[in-house]
Amino acid sequence: MLVILIFFIAFILQLFLPWWIIGIVAFAVSAWQAKSGKQAFAGGFTAIFLLWLTLSLWKSLPNEHILANRVGQMLMLPDWPFTWIFVVFITALIGGLTAGFAALSGYFVSLAFIKPERKK
Amino acid sequence: MNKTKAIISLLFSLGLFFVLNTKIGSVPPVGKFLDPFAGFWKNAENREIRGGALKLAGLRDEVQIVFDEHQVAHIFATNDHDLYFAQGYITARDRLWQLDFQTRFAAGRLSEVVGEKALELDKYQRRLGMSYGAENMVKELERHPRIKAMATAYAAGINAYISALRPEDYPIEFKILDYSPEKWTILNTGLLLKLMSATLAGGSDEFYMSNVLNRFGAEAVNDLFPDYPFRNEPIIPAGTDWNFKPLQTVPLSIVPDDKTRIHTRQKEEGTGSNNWAISGSKTASGFPLLANDPHLDLTLPAIWHQIQLNAPGINAYGVSIPGAPGIVIGFNQKVAWGVTNVGADVLDWYQIKFRSKEHKAYLHDRQWKPVKLRLEKIRIRGGKTVVDTVFYTHHGPVVYLTRPNFAKANNIPEGYALRWVAHDPSVDIATFYYLNRASNYTDYRKALSYYIAPAQNFVFASNENDISITPNGYFPLKSPGHGKFLLDGTTSSTDWKDRIPFEHNPTAKNPSGGFLSSANQNPTDSSYPYYLNWEFAGYERGNRINTRLAAMKTATADSLRTLQNDNYSVLAKNVVPTMLNLVNKEKLNATEREAFNIIEKWNYHFDATEIGASIFEIWQKEAYNKVWDEFSDPKLPMRLPNRDRTVQLLLKEPESVWFDNISTSKKENRNDIIHDAFRFSVDSLQRKFGLIGKNWQWGMVKHSHVPHLAKIAGFGSRMIFNGGSKTSINALNESNGPSWRMIVALGKIPSGYGVFPGGQSGNPGSFYYDDMINTWERGQLNELLFLNSPTDRDKRIRARLTLKNKH
Repeated sequence: MLVILIFFIAFILQLFLPWWIIGIVAFAVSAWQAKSGKQAFAGGFTAIFLLWLTLSLWKSLPNEHILANRVGQMLMLPDWPFTWIFVVFITALIGGLTAGFAALSGYFVSLAFIKPERKK
Repeated sequence: MNKTKAIISLLFSLGLFFVLNTKIGSVPPVGKFLDPFAGFWKNAENREIRGGALKLAGLRDEVQIVFDEHQVAHIFATNDHDLYFAQGYITARDRLWQLDFQTRFAAGRLSEVVGEKALELDKYQRRLGMSYGAENMVKELERHPRIKAMATAYAAGINAYISALRPEDYPIEFKILDYSPEKWTILNTGLLLKLMSATLAGGSDEFYMSNVLNRFGAEAVNDLFPDYPFRNEPIIPAGTDWNFKPLQTVPLSIVPDDKTRIHTRQKEEGTGSNNWAISGSKTASGFPLLANDPHLDLTLPAIWHQIQLNAPGINAYGVSIPGAPGIVIGFNQKVAWGVTNVGADVLDWYQIKFRSKEHKAYLHDRQWKPVKLRLEKIRIRGGKTVVDTVFYTHHGPVVYLTRPNFAKANNIPEGYALRWVAHDPSVDIATFYYLNRASNYTDYRKALSYYIAPAQNFVFASNENDISITPNGYFPLKSPGHGKFLLDGTTSSTDWKDRIPFEHNPTAKNPSGGFLSSANQNPTDSSYPYYLNWEFAGYERGNRINTRLAAMKTATADSLRTLQNDNYSVLAKNVVPTMLNLVNKEKLNATEREAFNIIEKWNYHFDATEIGASIFEIWQKEAYNKVWDEFSDPKLPMRLPNRDRTVQLLLKEPESVWFDNISTSKKENRNDIIHDAFRFSVDSLQRKFGLIGKNWQWGMVKHSHVPHLAKIAGFGSRMIFNGGSKTSINALNESNGPSWRMIVALGKIPSGYGVFPGGQSGNPGSFYYDDMINTWERGQLNELLFLNSPTDRDKRIRARLTLKNKH
């Protein structure tokens, strides 16, 4: 549920808001829904990892990965025909990690200030 | 406990987002950049070319744009305003970052984007007076309302594109460097034209030449740096009549002095070009053919932008400079034209005597004249602003009182004012406005009369069977040698006073040989009554072009295509036999002997697969530097005698003292130098490429490629396996060479062929970023789609875009 909510809310808001909205979404949804720190991080991470993975593939496939391969070289990756896979992975990873940490802090904040009675 | 954990994790997350949203050093804001919604992924385009309909404020009428398979825009407008508006719009759509970056570079405003590391470069550009020159162009436009309207409409078109952009739509380089495009002004157009002048007419050797004079004396200078070449093949065929009465010049005595630090630099030969026209008497069709390939430092996004411009009174196709309206090299229904660089002396240095350390006045004709101050405010990314004060005399800016430790500034003498044609008021784009609309020779002459700088050899052909060539621009009226050295700035006798009248610029029309050509060599033989410069590019390319053109009888576009790709080196033909004779075969080891045999059999073509070419190139370069070792002095920067003089020395003066290597006690002669240089070339190839074999091939050794404009890794081209050399018609070096190859066959309907090493799009994420490189590498040309109306049908048409006025 956490993953699905973050994925879709972030998807819709990212259509017209800057990238850091994923942090707010992960934070808020996790504060509201998360049951544990582990679950919060995993939820935020998975949702945005998948969202950014999907979106970057959606952009890169019709481009035949021309740009991703060039950006790979800019990032000092070797000049291979499949360098783009690393670039997609790095993108998803960065998105996932930032959202994961935001979700984790959402859970902790909720635990400390909003719903302290919810769990131990 | 929970609260502490909450606060720490919250701070950590906020910090993480902040860091990933911020540019740190040269690393782009990582999160913002990778975001697949608005970051760089957004620049990954599909193959489709965007057509449809758009409403734009500022148009007067509807504009139809047809895109062909290379994304070249064919613009059909009902009036001039809309035509140039649409050209600006499409140029911005294809090349927005290039427009922005090149103007910032020209204006000395890169620090705003990349920070303090560009400060010295920014100061240099400003101290050269780039903006000062561009401002003078803008002022001059006031006197030419039609041309100003063209530039204004073009700017409005660029801005119409910019104003509809969201940050996610910005070209990828904006995202990498993390900044935003700004509104285009006609000053920016001026800056780009000044940049062309800086590239093509901004070189200066005076400082080095004066040092040579101080070191070796007038006799050596006259011997080694003569005002007329050993071998010449003038652009204007020898024997052409000068049907005017020349103005008189007063000879001058020369030379103040300046003693300084830094290293000698060899004058870089590289920005050269070829063009030629053949009359109908020598072609299969009976109509003229015209060819042009300007050589520049190649970059991606491509230097040129192809376009077809159609409106009442104009239907022209060719290439434009992104940032300047109109077509620079191209053709229309009736005529074709092209340009190569002249290389006349249009830049001089005057030693200024200031009254005091305040630099408020300087001495000129026994009077103290006031110095004008120009404050250059350089904004640096992050907030700081540096104010740089530049002193202006009537000549122009005193570029450096103290030269900074900055490579580009090495040839600039301290305390000298710069007199440069690029500062003068001009409306150079008027030339292209009128050429684009020309229908005959008379129109061509009229168009040329507007042109100031950088001086070009304008070749021309019309379907009325006229061909012509004119080395053209503002040539200051000089006595021989004026400006060869640094000049005394305390007297008006050294000032530029007048120009060679346009009507007196060298020109030729319909010569008996049936063709005209130029390759940056000396424009005239010694019968021309004016002094243009003491040195031009060598005669070799011009000689080869003329030899082959003279032999053509029923030429076609394809015969000219093979000529553009000719890798034969006249230099190699002239010197290799002599050089081989000077090598002592007895003293060669096995590898050297093998190399010797290869070059002995070499046909003087710098083809990609030739090993002889690789050996010769390194051999002659090493010999050249060895011969002129006397000119290398860390305390006194000088330049070396040119190739022409070196060839003369090699072939005609075997006993010359210059062959001696001054760092050894032994007295070397010609044989020693050539022999040692040969062994050096084999040795250095072996060290770099192993045993003689495939890796020694010229294409591998030369390693041609096209780098990105800002040298971003991965955004340039792959390695290009190609022949060519500086002394071949196909003048492709490592990353300098034919930036546009064009051939036009005139007739009732013209056929154009062209290609450049890049693509129409400036987006590295576009299929049209470098889609023409393969064609260019193979030496082939695309047939250019020349349409008569927006409703024409052709299988190469890919999209149609209608621009409508937004009320």
